[in-house]
Amino acid sequence: MDCASLNPFPEAAAFRRSPSEVMRLERMGCAHPTRLSFLRTLLRRVMDQGWVFDRPVWDVDQAGVGRAVYRAIGPDRTYSLVAFSHDLPDEMRSDRVIATAWDATFTMFDGEPTQDDLDRLQANVPLQEAGRISRKELSLSRANRSVRLFEHVIDRLAAGQQPDADEVEAVGYLMRTTAVYGSGKFGAADLTTIAERPELNAPFQVEMMSVWLTRQFTVDITEHLAHVRGGDRAVRLDPVIKRTLGVGNSTGLGMAPFLVRHPVLLNNWMMAREEALARVRAQSNAQPDRVSGFRKALSDAQENAAKWTSTHPIQVTKLDALRRDLAQLADHTRDWPTTNEPHPWDALWRWAEVELSIEGQEALLSIILEPHGDLIDGLAECMIADEQAAFRLDGSMTVAELMDRLERYYDWALDIDFDQPENAARFWYVSEEKLEPRLGDRFEEDGAALEQPLCIARLAKDLHTELAVQPGETPIAAFLLAHPEHRLMVRRAQVVQRHPYAEVRDNLIAAEMLPIDLMRCKLAFFGASRFDPRSDKWVRISLFQGLPYPSDLCPEGWA
Amino acid sequence: MTKAAIDDLEPNDPTRSGPPLSGETGAWLSNNEIEQLCLKAARGAGMSWGLAEEAGFAAAWLARRGMDGPMAVLTQLNHAQGRAWNEICPVVASDQLRPADGNILCPIALGAALCDHGTLLGLGGDQKSLRIGPVSHPVLLLPFLSDLARTCGLNLRLRWSDGTVLLGADGSLLGDVDVIGAETAFEAEISAHVGSVSQDQTAPKVRLVASNTLNGLNSYALKTTVPASEASRAGAGADDNE
Repeated sequence: MDCASLNPFPEAAAFRRSPSEVMRLERMGCAHPTRLSFLRTLLRRVMDQGWVFDRPVWDVDQAGVGRAVYRAIGPDRTYSLVAFSHDLPDEMRSDRVIATAWDATFTMFDGEPTQDDLDRLQANVPLQEAGRISRKELSLSRANRSVRLFEHVIDRLAAGQQPDADEVEAVGYLMRTTAVYGSGKFGAADLTTIAERPELNAPFQVEMMSVWLTRQFTVDITEHLAHVRGGDRAVRLDPVIKRTLGVGNSTGLGMAPFLVRHPVLLNNWMMAREEALARVRAQSNAQPDRVSGFRKALSDAQENAAKWTSTHPIQVTKLDALRRDLAQLADHTRDWPTTNEPHPWDALWRWAEVELSIEGQEALLSIILEPHGDLIDGLAECMIADEQAAFRLDGSMTVAELMDRLERYYDWALDIDFDQPENAARFWYVSEEKLEPRLGDRFEEDGAALEQPLCIARLAKDLHTELAVQPGETPIAAFLLAHPEHRLMVRRAQVVQRHPYAEVRDNLIAAEMLPIDLMRCKLAFFGASRFDPRSDKWVRISLFQGLPYPSDLCPEGWA
Repeated sequence: MTKAAIDDLEPNDPTRSGPPLSGETGAWLSNNEIEQLCLKAARGAGMSWGLAEEAGFAAAWLARRGMDGPMAVLTQLNHAQGRAWNEICPVVASDQLRPADGNILCPIALGAALCDHGTLLGLGGDQKSLRIGPVSHPVLLLPFLSDLARTCGLNLRLRWSDGTVLLGADGSLLGDVDVIGAETAFEAEISAHVGSVSQDQTAPKVRLVASNTLNGLNSYALKTTVPASEASRAGAGADDNE
């Protein structure tokens, strides 16, 4: 579908932020989840369409070992999360990709699994990367317990008490996923298998469904073990406390290259979000119901910012700024909008651009989208990408035309002096260990000869330098015969021409580059909250915190 | 999991697969895995990143149509080992794409060049036909010719001494596909095909990739990776356990 030609608000284009403003790491690293985030899209869909959820299999023993099936029954198809629960010795618990065992392992089954399917999956899913799944499966994932909170909650529930509120708030989840592999991994069905299904017509819907059902499992297994320990004395988790628990997620560097490897997809995510902001800013007035929706969203954001903790110095600074900004925003909007102010949302945005930190501005983006669902929710369906369609490059373009494109879209890269060590300090590579993506120090570590092509700024500059000594009328097809090493960058440069938000406009091998900025941007699109960096290379986040459970929507499924 | 089962797991071996399914010697790979594995293998074998992407594309295209793309890519990578780029890349003239002096073309390089030149080739217009080759493992040309047909909005005919294949602008494929799959090298002619190419609708397939093919591709792919070290492990992040 061509979203551009279907755009019902062409007047919004004038309010759209430019890629040179949006696609900077400093700003991407301040991204907040919005109502267009993928888990929000999933929840809207299952609620609007009245999906039914239940748990037809719960075959878990007294040690918490066994298997369970969670069903999601939609209007056309059923999906089943198959969960395997293990008794993992503490010393084996690791969030690293190189771990080999987990507290629980999962796969999303396309349909309803038979006994044979479950047996086959039992032999493979617990092995994760070392196992094989089939085209009947759509994802593969695992989760580890928060040792601290999991044990505390079981103890309390077994004794007939509720967990300590401070403990719950400090951790925020019972289990954290350490990897969720989606389409086409380890034998799973390819993305093309599900690409035409309307219920999955937004990015990462299977993965989001898997995590949401996993959240249910984390509560179910905790209550199960509390009942084993406490017998009749045991109680169930208070629904209010339960609601505050999300699924934790621990994410390392592996996620960072994704946005760089999928430029068309990145463009579509960014474009949808930016178009949403532009539509809101383009409104000629602020209806009272929208204003009250804004105030509610602002108050929620302030509450979230108050509970959001991190010990990482960068995030601590950002959180201070965020809390200050939100207070200032609340103050500024107390009597807003003033009567007869043209484009009041735009005026608010322009005020924020002057007065708030980047963290505060990106928070405001999320807040002002919140009351405008009818205006922007349809954009969620413009966030998938047909990457194959953008693959074939145009060799009839001339050297001069490509030079012009590079100067227009990669101006930010062409001025960088890569002979300065700080501008080429890092290199991205893939480790032999489980093929884990890593970031090395070019001048300290071995392996730079095996650098991955994520150093886009330098690739663009190298291409520009080579093109500059070629006759301008030469077709790129001929240039590439002599210079196959530039093929990847030629392809990207042509993609960017049609997809303005496709490229992160920063040097990804610079000494001061922070991988967590890339990760925060991607995780915000997923819908992750409480972003908590543990270093510049890995983070903890929470998913679905404060949102309903499948069992809230269908209590009879858990009767 | 038992202690023995845990010891049995080798965390450092990315090529390890799960318990073998009875009677199979290989692994069922999704199209995405075929594409990624062949991309990495091609890069490991010395192709530029951009061309390696073309190799991945070609392998997945063939596999989707039930052909052994992974094996074709592996055979080609073996064949091209030690050859310089100027020995395997085409010299493009108005009516032919040939190797320099008595060499044999790489089908990925030739296929990419054909697609890059696209409408510049003049097929369907002034240019009645193009001579190509000799080119090794020519089954790998099919994905590119299919894209070329789409780009030019033409149905194309590929004819060589032992067969003909028709490629539709709509992605359809017809003719001596098995014959081309068995050719190790040929010279051929490409021309516009007047008339329709009946639609060959194939559902995406998951392909059993033979162990030998898998091992061969994996050993090339591993050449793109950096051996593990303590410093590099620290570079991936940290571990805590609260």
